[in-house]
Amino acid sequence: MTATTLSRRALLASSALSLLPALTPRLAMAATPGDKIRKLTLLSAAQASDPQEFQAAQLIAQSWRQLGLDVDVRGLPRPQLSDVVWNNRTKWDMTMWRMVGRPERSDPDEFTFNLYNPATIETGYNFIAYNNPDFQKIAQAQRAETDREARRKLLYEAQDVINRDQPYLFLVYPKNVLAYDQSVWKPESVVEQSGIGIRCFWTFLRAEPAGAKRDMICNAAESMIAINPLYISGAIDSWVTELVWDRLMRVGPDGLPQPWAAEKVTQVDPTTIDVVLRAGQKWHDGKPVTVEDVVFSFEAPATSDKSPMYKPFVGNIASVKATDDRTVRFVLKTPSAAFTTSTLAKINLVPKHVWAPILKGLEGKPENAETVQEEQPVGSGPFKVARFKLNEEIVLEANPDYWEKPKMDRWILRIITNTGAALGMLPRGELNFLTDYRGDPKLLTDMAKQNPNISVVATTDMGFRFVAPNERRQPFDDARFRRALSLAINRQLMAAAAWNGFATPANSFVSPALPYWSKPGINDLKADMSEAKKLLEEAGYVVVRGKLHYPEGVKETLDAS
Amino acid sequence: MPYLIRRLLQMAFVLWAVATIVFLMFRLMPGDPSAAFIDPTFTVEQQQAVRAQFGLDRPLPQQYLIYLGNLLHGEFGLSFRQRQPVLGMVLEVLPNTLLLTLTALLIAYAFGTLLGALMAWKRGGRFEAISVPLVLTTRAAPEFWVGMVMLAIFAFGLGWLPSGGANVAGAQYASEWDRILSLDYLRHLALPALTLAIYLQGLPALLMRSSMLEVMREEFVTMARMKGLPERTIMLRHAARNALLPLVTAFALGFGQSVGGNVVVENVFSWPGLGRLLAEAIANSDYPLAQCAFLLIALVLVLMNFLADLLYGLLDPRVAHGRG
Repeated sequence: MTATTLSRRALLASSALSLLPALTPRLAMAATPGDKIRKLTLLSAAQASDPQEFQAAQLIAQSWRQLGLDVDVRGLPRPQLSDVVWNNRTKWDMTMWRMVGRPERSDPDEFTFNLYNPATIETGYNFIAYNNPDFQKIAQAQRAETDREARRKLLYEAQDVINRDQPYLFLVYPKNVLAYDQSVWKPESVVEQSGIGIRCFWTFLRAEPAGAKRDMICNAAESMIAINPLYISGAIDSWVTELVWDRLMRVGPDGLPQPWAAEKVTQVDPTTIDVVLRAGQKWHDGKPVTVEDVVFSFEAPATSDKSPMYKPFVGNIASVKATDDRTVRFVLKTPSAAFTTSTLAKINLVPKHVWAPILKGLEGKPENAETVQEEQPVGSGPFKVARFKLNEEIVLEANPDYWEKPKMDRWILRIITNTGAALGMLPRGELNFLTDYRGDPKLLTDMAKQNPNISVVATTDMGFRFVAPNERRQPFDDARFRRALSLAINRQLMAAAAWNGFATPANSFVSPALPYWSKPGINDLKADMSEAKKLLEEAGYVVVRGKLHYPEGVKETLDAS
Repeated sequence: MPYLIRRLLQMAFVLWAVATIVFLMFRLMPGDPSAAFIDPTFTVEQQQAVRAQFGLDRPLPQQYLIYLGNLLHGEFGLSFRQRQPVLGMVLEVLPNTLLLTLTALLIAYAFGTLLGALMAWKRGGRFEAISVPLVLTTRAAPEFWVGMVMLAIFAFGLGWLPSGGANVAGAQYASEWDRILSLDYLRHLALPALTLAIYLQGLPALLMRSSMLEVMREEFVTMARMKGLPERTIMLRHAARNALLPLVTAFALGFGQSVGGNVVVENVFSWPGLGRLLAEAIANSDYPLAQCAFLLIALVLVLMNFLADLLYGLLDPRVAHGRG
């Protein structure tokens, strides 16, 4: 099927959706049922790769069967699952899916604007093909609203629309569980960043040694990909890049952006922002950080095509110019509320004297800046790279010239592929900060009970798990059907059983980890089977001999597969 | 020397076949290979650029020709994930794997040979009754499980040995040699090498046992007995020495196989070697890296096989003659 017919179908589906409410009351009156709803398939990651998700899918299928639906759960290896969901968008009914937290997602704009955007139905984020112009209007308005209070109102409204329409059936916000040795690090100096947890810039900057040990020894469960300020290579890599390269702003422990390498950030008018650089900053090679470096850092991804992953983050900048030797003026194409978080707190400041020659050397070649691995990376952040082997160990040293010098001497990241071994290494001192834990949280809390020095911190994630119904296919094009399915899900049980209690029930794309933006009470959607059945009945769905049928006159157009 | 030339041609053919199988294997696996390095947020143009960069937009036969051409020039491509030449990445970790394998094999063969000889010598006794099932059990036990038990005992329980990696955190050495020769490296090597040795010792033990049993029936052993030599001398000096021949081949082949088979042990002990690199490459659909690792393993295996053949001919001239 070509892309154009696909989008036309999506549009037809959405227009049919808007007609339905007017039609159905009459349909509900009539007693003759439509076709029996085919057997529905819920895709999930395979049990071995994600036991929690798979178990959650089983729980969901059980409760939907009580509504009279035939539901199959099919576990697939992740790459295959991604392939089906992203590249074969008409071929599946529903899938378990997740969105993960990242510091720049501390601003709700990315999820609000991208997830349900009609422009991304064919190839982008909106793989479920939800198309609601009313929602998109709000999503558009909130990103241009630079008054924070007014913007919050819009975001509350957006969350209400999504709650009503249930384009996603949100399940839980998982909690990230990490731990550290409090005989090595003073607990009051370990910072829990909202939505991110204790493994964050603020902990690495401010953690204070409790005794003689002054090296923080962290772990990662897989190899690093690169140490490169112009390449968004992976989650683990970002822990390192955000320590080595500085940023004009940083997302603070409260989830809100604050000036950092910039002393002051002023919104002059909706599209003009002035940034005053903090005085006396130096690159790791001793040269001073200048406004030219700052301008270069924001221009390089926009103009050279050599840093494709950062390009979208500077796409809204019309011009960036130095107005004096400490001030840089950004002029935007359109007003953007998220600019501080998703651009100023995102783009790494890179030294022009290092990267301008590299980028020049790449001109006319197929390679881009992402293939460049500096032997000695040069940033202006609180840590310097001492040495690294991407598959084995990364050693950073505190930068003595930094204006807020880290309290530790070195930050060491070890690649430990065996989760069980990493757990055992913590009380033995082979690690003193468990920064990557992918095992059962209960094992970790049990271990901490036996070792009073080990402190465990669980943080609610900015990301969330959900069921994505494919709205290109009936009956998922009917919002009331989706809502009924959603009401049948017992999220409390799911959080307790599948996630061992390390998750919070979810019903919004804005996590409670962003307390300023999350609408109070939105996540209180309680499981209610009888309400779900009532809703289906009102929408005209009929149960015949225990099996759910479409409303009168509705034909099943898809084969059970 | 026609035999040598024939063997070299055979080796080249085997390597070509392996290269082809490896190429096809990765293209036929489920899932879009590009999913591993194309972020969903990329624009369509960006996705196409990445596909073109890695040659994935060409038809399969063309991809194959590009691939073979690159191999002949010693170019194994860029890692999808780390965007670095894969050969360098593989060569960086190769010494760790070779050392682990060699240490484990030496322990396994020293211990296994002795045990095998003893089992044969004490045929029918209680020693044999206990040791044969024990050897079979250790051979059959999953390496992962053995590794975790070793960790539980020697690292987490007794605290004698470190539990992962190749060095203590943050250790710095003047050179790679200093690092490999340090006591620190040796301590980290101990548990993975022992775990691997426990798995590997079964083969030499059983091989030595049956080989000894054969030799013990030979006339020169009876002759030695008749001469009144002490049992221990007969066993070690006469019987065992002659029974060693098949073990030479087994050692050479074992080395080749083990280089590729260290995936489990290297992951359990976070040992930065080829097996771990390979496992990560496969998990991330990093084709060039996995291909390079596979080919290198095949190369070691074929070379060791060749070496075993040559050694065999040297040790037992009858074998070489037989080939004509």
